[in-house]
Amino acid sequence: MAKDSKDTDTDAGILREPAELQFRAQLDALKQHDADTPPSAWKLSPRSVLAYITGTAKPLDLTINGKKTQVAITRKFFGDDTIVERAIVTLASERALLLVGEPGTGKSWLSEHLAAAISGCSTLTIQGTAGTTEDQIKYSWNVARVIAEGPKPENMIPSPTMIAMKTGALLRFEEITRCVPDVQDALVSILSDKNMVVPELPDANMVFARPGFNVIATANSRDQGVNELSAALKRRFNYVHIPIVADQKTEIAIVRDRSKELLERYKIPAKIEEPVIAMLATVFREMRAGTTADGISFQKVSTTLSTAEAIGVALDSAIRARYFGNGAVSIEEIARNLVGSVVKEDLDDLKVLKEYLAVVAKKRGAKDASWKTFHDAALKAVTSAS
Amino acid sequence: MTAPGDQQPDGGLDIERVRAEADRVLAEPLYWFPVRHHSPMVARHLRAAIRARKPKLVLIEGPAGATEMIRHIVDTKTKPPIALYASYRDDGNILGLAGKASAAPDIPPRFPVWYPLLGYSPEYVAMKEAVAIGAEAVFIDLPNHALIDPADWEHTAFDDEDNDPDDDGDHDDIDDDADDDGDEVADASEPAPGTAVPSWEAAVVESSFYQTLARVAGYRSWDEAWDSLFEIGHRHGTYDEFRRDMAYFCAAVRATSNPARLARDGTLPRERHMLATIKAELAKRGLAPEQAMVVCGGFHLFLDRADPEPPPTPPAGTWLTTVVPYSYFRVSELSGYGAANRAPRFYQAVWEHLDDKDEEPWIAAMVEHVVSVLARGRKDGEMLSSADAISVTQHARMLAVLRGRPMPILDDIRDALISCCCKGRPDEEGRHLLLAMTGAEIGNAIGRVTPALGKLPIVHDFYAQLDTLELGDVMGRDKRMTLTLDLREDQDSKRSAFLHRLAKLDISLAQREGGATGDGSTLFREKWQLLWSPKTEAQLIDKNLYGDTIESAAIAQLEEDVAKEQRHAGATCQRLLDAVSMQLPHLVQRLEAAAGAAIDEDRHFASQCEALVHLLVLDRLAIQRDLGRDAIEKLASRSYARACLAITDLGAVPIEQQELTIAHLKSLAEAVLGGDLELDRTLFADQVKQAAISTEIPFMQGAFAGILTELREIDPNDLAARVAAFARSQPAKMVLAGEFLDGAFAVSKTSMLLGAEALIGAIDQLLRAAPWDDFMVLLPKVRHAFERLHERQRLAFADRVAARYGLADAEQIAELPATSTEAGAYLATIDARVAAIMKEWTF
Repeated sequence: MAKDSKDTDTDAGILREPAELQFRAQLDALKQHDADTPPSAWKLSPRSVLAYITGTAKPLDLTINGKKTQVAITRKFFGDDTIVERAIVTLASERALLLVGEPGTGKSWLSEHLAAAISGCSTLTIQGTAGTTEDQIKYSWNVARVIAEGPKPENMIPSPTMIAMKTGALLRFEEITRCVPDVQDALVSILSDKNMVVPELPDANMVFARPGFNVIATANSRDQGVNELSAALKRRFNYVHIPIVADQKTEIAIVRDRSKELLERYKIPAKIEEPVIAMLATVFREMRAGTTADGISFQKVSTTLSTAEAIGVALDSAIRARYFGNGAVSIEEIARNLVGSVVKEDLDDLKVLKEYLAVVAKKRGAKDASWKTFHDAALKAVTSAS
Repeated sequence: MTAPGDQQPDGGLDIERVRAEADRVLAEPLYWFPVRHHSPMVARHLRAAIRARKPKLVLIEGPAGATEMIRHIVDTKTKPPIALYASYRDDGNILGLAGKASAAPDIPPRFPVWYPLLGYSPEYVAMKEAVAIGAEAVFIDLPNHALIDPADWEHTAFDDEDNDPDDDGDHDDIDDDADDDGDEVADASEPAPGTAVPSWEAAVVESSFYQTLARVAGYRSWDEAWDSLFEIGHRHGTYDEFRRDMAYFCAAVRATSNPARLARDGTLPRERHMLATIKAELAKRGLAPEQAMVVCGGFHLFLDRADPEPPPTPPAGTWLTTVVPYSYFRVSELSGYGAANRAPRFYQAVWEHLDDKDEEPWIAAMVEHVVSVLARGRKDGEMLSSADAISVTQHARMLAVLRGRPMPILDDIRDALISCCCKGRPDEEGRHLLLAMTGAEIGNAIGRVTPALGKLPIVHDFYAQLDTLELGDVMGRDKRMTLTLDLREDQDSKRSAFLHRLAKLDISLAQREGGATGDGSTLFREKWQLLWSPKTEAQLIDKNLYGDTIESAAIAQLEEDVAKEQRHAGATCQRLLDAVSMQLPHLVQRLEAAAGAAIDEDRHFASQCEALVHLLVLDRLAIQRDLGRDAIEKLASRSYARACLAITDLGAVPIEQQELTIAHLKSLAEAVLGGDLELDRTLFADQVKQAAISTEIPFMQGAFAGILTELREIDPNDLAARVAAFARSQPAKMVLAGEFLDGAFAVSKTSMLLGAEALIGAIDQLLRAAPWDDFMVLLPKVRHAFERLHERQRLAFADRVAARYGLADAEQIAELPATSTEAGAYLATIDARVAAIMKEWTF
């Protein structure tokens, strides 16, 4: 069975390949099987984009240079498929897409895969920050050459937006609500008129977007109210809210698959057993909800205990196990690393963790040795952190 | 809707066998037409089939025996939504459920069922079309009461709130609420056994064929599957094509259904009855099978034609059927109705556009619906424009294509509305939009029933009184209405009496704000919430046995209640209060005698206290209502005396009754201290003193001491001394101090504050004396005692504690400007002193 870029032309010097390279075999296989006509400038039809993101039940044949092989189309986004459908349809429409949700819910991940599948390019990206300027959204100039030659098209430094417009690709705008409103509003005319004015070039003062151009923005729901989008910009976006994963089974699957992938990427030969992952996911879910499946309630932590955070704990534990342990990720390791994730800005979260250990983990530990191990290790870590 | 690499469905199905079974039924001379309740597309094809085939007899899945109602259902003056209402009363307790399915063993249980009909319900259309072509229409289903299984009630306690059959039928749980916009949310609890009509759709969802199909095709719900396969109608040009595909689908579902379910849910006995009735009706008219047509749930097409078992016979009793107005909301899923329609108004629009022979009825309905949602959203302040409407319809169409449908169904429209109009989390930023969507999907239409059906005298009287009292507005609106009555006004006074009478009869039209006691009302003012529901008329029909008018029925109901509670002083006096509220002066006189007898016989403290409270309210009402106060005052004095004499029995009250007893004691104390009546204070005080001596329960000792402090019979300092005495006791007794304090604080607060200095001293002494383990036992009760105080009272105690430890008065601190250096320095001093004090505390 064909693997993705790892088997093809991976550049060993690249830490993380963009999705279109990493999953190239899957994208090629879907393209070869695509029975529908893609929208103008899209690499795949909407149905194949959906299949790429949500996976298929059976592998697909891929023919490269006359050689046939099979490619498994893996699930990239775990959660409600309706979210992906709505996102794809939005990108095929007049409106731009804003993925909004708690930190760590997979907004950027989904955005990257959508761009990879639709445009074949996920790297036309602007990272929104408080220091993002309008130039970074539109264009800037090679100042030295402008001084020497005056404003000419070849002296212009195009932004990712301008490149996306010219090539009919998707622009990714990360954390849009981190930008100040004036800068955000630079997008209004781009999204409504689908063109950009360059007043410095009287003979070439308009850049028109080609078919296929659109914007996928992401926003952290915890940032709402900081730099909220203007009403004009809101109207040009369809919002798709990505909730925290609703069921435990799916969350365990995400933590397992993503941890495995990251361990492979970092070439760490550590192994995380299923019960350890299940325990990690359970603790995260319960602490996030402030209640357990068996009805015990306690205070919620102020930190967003997202699934991504759980993956981070798994990865940190694996690295530690690889370099300072025997390579197997133990429950003790998970417990130790968990404290740093739960207690970040607010020291009151330490109290909540203590409460959880006392009222939930200890009780379970009386009947289950794994929980006892977890309780003892976490308590030790908490005590040393206090 | 399958993507590359997705598997095809098989569901473990023998396809050829299923096809053969369906073809066999389709080829029968008797023309079976499979239906789904409340489906516009089924209704459309069924109408075409009836018009084309012109049967002489149309046999419809509805309760046999209610066929007489068909002429009223199809009457031109009857307008859906309506419901066929059937109520069975087990007069002879044949099922042995009296007392289990009813409030008492001498009350016959009733089992009401509603069969809702919308304008596009296939059964309704079948009746209308049958009449239009001059055919006869007959119901063939087994009446629901034949399916009542007493075993279902084994573990179901009768509960007026939850399990009253009135509260159910096959759908009705009307503990609902409506906000100002008429959007309602109702509990969808389980219906009481025997009051729900089984639906074949539950079997569909459980069948392995459907589950495989849904998994492979990506259907998220049965409604989505149905709409995609049948409702949008793109695959069926004629009624026969539609019928054939429905038959294939239902045959596959039946072949993969769990047989145990069919045995359990009543499907088999119902089918036996349907088959027997079909044969009998054909034979009675001498018709050949091809001259008739059967309209029934698709599942029943495949009933066992060779089943030798006879259908069950319905139990004897009173069975009443009628037609009542119904509403879209009641049919919607929100009302908890088993075979519900998720969006009655939306599908009505689809039906109307189908009727208009619109080329794209679903698209026309979608546009109408989206515009309606946005208009509702705008009313709630949402920024929604026509551009949004265009985006939504475009988005819905594209979603439909992505999901493999030729046109959008409701699921696509809902998702498109969320995508294009909700700027954030649907449950937060989108909450108004969601409400607008729900409102537009469900609608608020209410049906009408032809006057030709005739009304029972009590129903007639009800409507007549509504007109006279100008309350007619509440009928025909599925929206809550608030009514504030000024009882000094003649019309409002009459309205109040009428509403109290309805409440007495358990007619769910009016509910007094603050519950039955009307807490929050004043002597001259009452506030009521009025909400029509389809069961209003059904309940009136059931109360027909009590009398021909609301007044006579209310009197009969009240007398029945009094007869049941004749030895209970509290309950009898409550009835007396009811009689006054209902303005039944003749009854008041009779009830006064009954109340006197009950007071003399009842030896229960709680009951006598309840009686006294009711009588005190009555005494105040007597002034306003111009009633004789003498009789009431005498009754109150007797009740008071009985209650006082029962106080000595309270010393041994069980722990679970302590709080209730305390509440009664307080009400008695309030009557003595602040009531309008002259009551013998000495009697009360003596009895409490005696009880305080005799009881060994620390909580009750505290409570009695607290009452005596309130009565000024003992000094607050004496009470503090009793607390201090605990500090000097052995540890086993010392730990009981918390309960004593808890009891005292439960009844006395004002007097405690007067003696706060001494009390704090005593508590301080107690806490210092208590060893650590005893302190831990003592602590929860002491804390509970202080939690009984109001925050201001707690602060007053805290100030005194501070003063006792040498801290300045709160006023002194408050006088300082909050941000001054002086204040800062002063607060630092206080902090240092508190720290020093706490350092001295060793645990």
